[in-house]
Amino acid sequence: MLTRRTVLAGMLASTAFPAALRAATEPYVLGTLFPMTGLLSELGSIYTAATALGLEHVAQDKRLSQPIVLKAQDSQSTPQGGAVGMSKLANVDRAPYVLVGLTGVAKAAEPIATRAKVVMVNGGGVGPDLAGLSPYFWNIIPLANQELPTAFSWMKRNEIRRVALIYLDDPLGNALRKGLQDGLPAIGAALVGEFSAAPSAQQFSAMIAKIRETKPDLVYVASYGTQQTQIFKQLRDNGITQPLMTYSVGGTPSVAALPESEGLLFTSQVADWDAKDPLTRRFVEGWRARHKDNPSTYAQNYYNAVLLYAQLIERLEKEGKPLNGDTLREGLATGTFDLVGGRARFSPSGAIDMPTQLNRVQNGKFEKVS
Amino acid sequence: MIAYLVNLATLIAIFGIAATSLNLLIGYAGIFSIAHAMFFGIGAYVAAQVALTFSADFLVAALAAAVAAAALSLCLALPALRVRGEYFVAASLGLQMMASTLFAEAHGFTGGVGGLVGIPPARILGFDVASPDAFLVLALACLALTLLAVRTLMRGSFGRSLMALRDSESAAEAFGKDVRALKTLAVVIGCFFVGIAGALFAFHMAFVNVESFTLEQSVVLMAMVIIGGAGTLTGPLVGVIALLSLPAALSFLPFIPSTQIGTVQQFIYGALMTLLMIFRPSGLVGLSRG
Repeated sequence: MLTRRTVLAGMLASTAFPAALRAATEPYVLGTLFPMTGLLSELGSIYTAATALGLEHVAQDKRLSQPIVLKAQDSQSTPQGGAVGMSKLANVDRAPYVLVGLTGVAKAAEPIATRAKVVMVNGGGVGPDLAGLSPYFWNIIPLANQELPTAFSWMKRNEIRRVALIYLDDPLGNALRKGLQDGLPAIGAALVGEFSAAPSAQQFSAMIAKIRETKPDLVYVASYGTQQTQIFKQLRDNGITQPLMTYSVGGTPSVAALPESEGLLFTSQVADWDAKDPLTRRFVEGWRARHKDNPSTYAQNYYNAVLLYAQLIERLEKEGKPLNGDTLREGLATGTFDLVGGRARFSPSGAIDMPTQLNRVQNGKFEKVS
Repeated sequence: MIAYLVNLATLIAIFGIAATSLNLLIGYAGIFSIAHAMFFGIGAYVAAQVALTFSADFLVAALAAAVAAAALSLCLALPALRVRGEYFVAASLGLQMMASTLFAEAHGFTGGVGGLVGIPPARILGFDVASPDAFLVLALACLALTLLAVRTLMRGSFGRSLMALRDSESAAEAFGKDVRALKTLAVVIGCFFVGIAGALFAFHMAFVNVESFTLEQSVVLMAMVIIGGAGTLTGPLVGVIALLSLPAALSFLPFIPSTQIGTVQQFIYGALMTLLMIFRPSGLVGLSRG
């Protein structure tokens, strides 16, 4: 019998049903704020390709109740572009988890993300000033100073005693300089020359002449982008035959493509493309199939960032918790995660604790040294 | 969505002030400066330092920023204004390049390439104006005051003298106008207002570094003035709205694949700008005025 109560209950159910249905079918949102145009668009392309591969593999696994959709914003490599992009991702696309890359962009986007409780994951910037930027800011790439112990081990084994340094005068360059100043004496070595380069500098002949006078056993370069490749080229053109070393930026394809980079040593998180574990095999084979080449460590980071998101969502689904910035942050702080390169966890300052290795550029490719 | 639009509107108001101030130079005085981002940066850094070390009161920080930008423009404008036309463009290019280097190297004041982080939220006479809505109102109020000031100035003898200077410097000089004094004053007033825009920018972003004050930013500001319509009051504002809203609007186009969004956006953006300049060379407002 149709009573008034039944009609009311039916009306309530009919209004609630679409909302319940919508909630159950709404996909998870992953935001990206990458430099997709401008001078650093090469990096943005790598980040984007790795993110797409990660999403494809997560979708194949079907371990989440809803799919993850990508919402991309071009940061245009500028802080202002980063702020506008993050505002759209946080306030319009409602992305609770956003991948970022460049230091300046990340710092400009951070206040907006923190206000909206959006977790930011950096896989490209390695400046130590990115540690502890905000409770919602996490680094899935070891910061540059975390890579130095691996470099020191190799230097000690190879009896490197005299190191000359060319560093970009920014937080990254200065942190590496301090790390070398502090760490070299412990292995019986010393910095015999420290040469600062302005961000816009492209000519280093005079600097290199001074470096030759210091008779170094090794030249460490702490720069990035086109300036970095110019330094490598001009070092070799001006007769520096000693080994060259840098941090994880050495894994950029444009560096490997440079003939003068042959033999370049660089540290990075563990990136053994011949490793037998299923996660690494799937990533490397997927990348090779699509790009006909080995991945870079940046690709590994952003692929890992997607796996990390999927693992966090999976845990939240199992625990019946909502997906938001706070629950994601809690999961990041307390969990350990299976990623390409090994099992990882994060420090309280938001930096990933991951094993690192030394690599060499050989015939235009990267290979593990130790 | 509202929060996104408020953020965009705040940036439009800030860049509206910056473009209006540049219009004073380009549109009214005929001084083609491509160092305007430098003074925008000086305003931002001074306001950030005042907020970080002394007081987060916007009025104090903005006044300091405006005075610093105006004073420095005076030091730099006096020798540079001895030249005219394309030579001034070259001189201002040199200043802009020098400023970018100084911004990157003066660690104690600018924080170097890493910039200044943690700029405290703005307050006015003890009242909190940090919320996005309140800050938008503040930025719009500053924009309205700037437009009012420029309108008043340009309708007086100073404005007419500037426009005479723009149309023919030699003729203005022949009529007894003190060309150097007028030009210097135009630069100082323009930089005073862009200093305020810089202060708003610093408080809004809560972070400033050299990447926001490069030559590219100067070129974008100039494009805002020219696309909107140089020498008109509303032209620069229309240019700012067009240049800031267009990329934002393009990001809503559903047919652009996520992985190609940057490239496609830039292509459409560039094509629209080119078409605009071909069919409306005097700017959006310039043409509508006939």
